[in-house]
Amino acid sequence: MDIKFEKINDIRLIVLEGELNMESAHKFKETFKPILKERNAKVLIDFAKVPFIDSSGIAALIEVCQNLGKVNGRMCLCHVNKKIVNVFEITKVHKLFKMFESHQEALRSF
Amino acid sequence: MLIEEKLPSDPDRAPVFIEAWLRRLRPLGLNDDQVFGLKLCLQEALINAIKHGNKCNKHLAVWVKIAADPRCLAVEITDQGQGFDPGAVPDPTAPENIGKNHGRGIYLIRQTMGAVDFSNGGRTIKMVMPLTGDRSGGH
Repeated sequence: MDIKFEKINDIRLIVLEGELNMESAHKFKETFKPILKERNAKVLIDFAKVPFIDSSGIAALIEVCQNLGKVNGRMCLCHVNKKIVNVFEITKVHKLFKMFESHQEALRSF
Repeated sequence: MLIEEKLPSDPDRAPVFIEAWLRRLRPLGLNDDQVFGLKLCLQEALINAIKHGNKCNKHLAVWVKIAADPRCLAVEITDQGQGFDPGAVPDPTAPENIGKNHGRGIYLIRQTMGAVDFSNGGRTIKMVMPLTGDRSGGH
């Protein structure tokens, strides 16, 4: 998985490319270590180029979301494809993540 | 079509095997949703067998059998671990479990496949995906 970073004002945009699965979950979580040292971090994760997720990927997302919450940070997702949304809904973890269809919508939510 | 494979208990190698099996299954003409679901279930079941079954012990093997005909695709995965009671696995969608960062693999398999059975003390999982219906959809 490739992970790119951008900053839009005070919001960190994290663009993922590749599968979020057992292989990439560790790298994904490591990415957030420096961000978790901040307080009130605002993070938008772009899923446009994520074609697949498994239970390890879901677990990594939950861990990051919870850890951000501990430092008063916030996280939301955008451009999540329908198959992945379906996996979130099956497992009911969609209740844990704010999801938006565009950057603009997501940015407005912070 | 029949695929039979004996795998080492190395989780890092699992995705390579899964991609190779999906390539071999392409002639079945599965649609995107079926490929996604099959890949998800193969990944979850294989990782369960390697990590939770065989505890990543490289001296232990995992056997995979995939049998497909025009009506259905059956996958059987067997490990050499201690086994487990599939009925005792907590429901990951229960309110107290939704935020946990584990325990969704078997649930995802049960929700995705047409039929799922455990045997051999939980060491063997058999999952069946019906292949009838529209295979052109799901794009």
